[in-house]
Amino acid sequence: MADIATAKKTLDALKKAHNSGDAVKAASLLGTLKIAVSSFPALPPVFEQTKTAADELSIARDTFEMAVLHAVTSGNEAAAERDHAQLRPFYVDCRGLMPDSKLEPLITGLNLTRLLVQNRIAEFHVELETVPARVADSAHVAHAVALESDLMEGAYGKILQASMTPDALPAKEYAAFMASLALTVREEIAACIEKAYESVDAAAAARLMGCAPADVAAVASKRGWRGDGNGGFLFAEEKKAPSAEDIPAHELINQTLMYAKEMERIV
Amino acid sequence: MGADVEMKDGDKKKETKEEEKKDEPVKALDVLEVLFENVALLEKSAASKGEPRFVAKVLRQTMAWRKKLTAQKLVDFLLASLDDSNPSKQSLVDLAGGEPSPAPPPPKPATPKRRSSRGKKQTEGDVDMVDAEGGETTATKDDTAGDANAIPPTPPTPAQNALPETEAYSHLLVLLFLLDANDPECKSASVAALNRLSQFNRRTLDALQARIVFYYSLAHERFGELAEVRPSLLALHRVAALRFDEMGQETILNLLMRNYLHYNMYDQAEKLRSKAQLPASRSNQQQCRYLYYLGRIRAIQLEYSDAKECLTQAHRKAPKLAKGFALELTKWITVVRLLLGEIPEKKDLTTAVSGGAAAQRALLPYLELTAAVRLGDLEKFRAVQEAHEAAFRADKTTNLVTRLRRNVIRTGLRRVSLAYSAISLDDVAQKLGLGEGDGDVEFVVAKAIRDGGIDATIDHDARTMHSSDATDVYSTGEPQAAFHARIAFCLDTHNEAVKAMRYPDKVKKGKGDGERKSAKDRDLEELAMHIMDEDEMDEF
Repeated sequence: MADIATAKKTLDALKKAHNSGDAVKAASLLGTLKIAVSSFPALPPVFEQTKTAADELSIARDTFEMAVLHAVTSGNEAAAERDHAQLRPFYVDCRGLMPDSKLEPLITGLNLTRLLVQNRIAEFHVELETVPARVADSAHVAHAVALESDLMEGAYGKILQASMTPDALPAKEYAAFMASLALTVREEIAACIEKAYESVDAAAAARLMGCAPADVAAVASKRGWRGDGNGGFLFAEEKKAPSAEDIPAHELINQTLMYAKEMERIV
Repeated sequence: MGADVEMKDGDKKKETKEEEKKDEPVKALDVLEVLFENVALLEKSAASKGEPRFVAKVLRQTMAWRKKLTAQKLVDFLLASLDDSNPSKQSLVDLAGGEPSPAPPPPKPATPKRRSSRGKKQTEGDVDMVDAEGGETTATKDDTAGDANAIPPTPPTPAQNALPETEAYSHLLVLLFLLDANDPECKSASVAALNRLSQFNRRTLDALQARIVFYYSLAHERFGELAEVRPSLLALHRVAALRFDEMGQETILNLLMRNYLHYNMYDQAEKLRSKAQLPASRSNQQQCRYLYYLGRIRAIQLEYSDAKECLTQAHRKAPKLAKGFALELTKWITVVRLLLGEIPEKKDLTTAVSGGAAAQRALLPYLELTAAVRLGDLEKFRAVQEAHEAAFRADKTTNLVTRLRRNVIRTGLRRVSLAYSAISLDDVAQKLGLGEGDGDVEFVVAKAIRDGGIDATIDHDARTMHSSDATDVYSTGEPQAAFHARIAFCLDTHNEAVKAMRYPDKVKKGKGDGERKSAKDRDLEELAMHIMDEDEMDEF
């Protein structure tokens, strides 16, 4: 028999602990709650139709939602991914069985942002396809999509700005992701600077990368930028004399051999 | 029944393979005639242990005569071709829901011998049947001829009636009839058909069963219940794989992918596709479908080159009559090409499209999209996106179109860099419509340079962009790469053509008597026609 009442009490306690920022207590409550939920018979994939089926489903779903939020706020990306995977059947398969969750847009947005930060862009898009229209129009998902668009276009300024001003984010949980996103963005900007500029001085580099000059020096040494003596950097390459090594010999040989082989096959 | 058949007894002899030609204006072929002939072909196919030619011909003819099926004819066929002991007979007759034709007037007194000789003459029309039937034609209800003017078609023999192929064929016909009438009964009919067929394990049933599964899925899709079909499709796929039922495997795999893609479950579709074994012999239509689904998955996964290859291959292989399919493909190919950075030509979206004005109207959003991307105009792009949002959503290309924003910017940048040798970044921002985001333009340009989209450098202090001079393309390796792509394509086409060649299965040895030689000639001729006919859209 599913013990709904105790589960509900634990869930409420968990929500309170999470909102008050008590991570340790929240983690322990989460553990107990997950064990309790696993004994419910009405969950997917079994879907046994007990009298309390709707309650069981909604409690289980809330549990996993809290799990995701907890993982995100404590910065544990792997746990966030696992919990979201556990949560997904509740969104997809159980849609008609209980009222929609209010946290769904937030969770979806967080998941998408996590994929973005981990640079799993293909999975990001695949996930995006499965999001239903109602959730896709919400601020959270729109924010994630805008982030991806900015990242692809190269509008890094917007991203850096967004990461500096946490108020602009739809929810405070995004803050953890924005920090790692900012790091990724800085790396990207550094790579772009190498290719796009012939020379750049230290102040300009700092402004471009949105960080302090000390960080610029660290990045420069890591990427092997050549200094020009004034604290700036030069990127123009010396012109190398064309040599025999420039010819892609292996490639050409392979191609020609393939032609010969195919032609021989023609009877 | 006797009234609408106009063939005379003597004419029967003249009917040789011309029966099969659909554009026969002189002889008014009756649907029932064709159906009975198909049953005979099914018997041949069962006897020949599953040679695909016969069943393929049966299916082709069925598709051609599909529209002429009426409830009455269907019931006649069912009553004639199924044994009374057959469990499905009554349910099928009920589903067909028509009245059988009135019994023909009582026959003139005729000796049994004469009747059987008449029966024999009737069967001479289908030349191949001579050997199979001999004098076996027994009289069933419809066999009695009224007057000499009206001879009903030869119904199947009891031997044929007992074949499970006949039963499967009856199920298929009823299903087709219900589907064409948009009758919700078709769902339960298809389920019943599948349940019945699952009791058999004959390879000769494979082709018919594959068709029935397809219509099962189609019936549910039409009435919006596609998700329920998924578990049974998965089970059927397992069974087909166990039995090495290649046609079934192929069809069901395509149906499953369609099912997942219908609900936008791209990752599950990809997982299924990557794990499932792809059967070797592919019918052209199934292969087209498979390539289309694969192309869509790849496009969503950002692998645009693969996607483009799959989609263009599907487009090329598609039969000419499949206009709706070609239209869908054109839409997806356009978007993928835009995402790759190539601008499709205007005629690809207007005049060169088969399907006339309706097709061009459907492609209008994509035409405007291409125009916006070509100009690199963000404003126009946004306007097109909003105006045609409903169309994109219906085509499920919404997210892909959103991704195009970056391409618009990239194209705009390229035009600017080609046109100006030096231009201030603010002017660039203005031209691209990027707005006055501080520093954003610089980053965008820098990224474009890094990705190799444009060839330029930025002068940070002066906030300008300097375009580099165009390099001599022939001194790089690019021409060789382009040549290589084309050569590889030609060689691939050649290899595929060689693999697709087919030879007649048995070449009858010995030049023997004239009759045997003519049988061999007939076989070869039929084979040639079969291969020729395969180009037409014979399925679905």
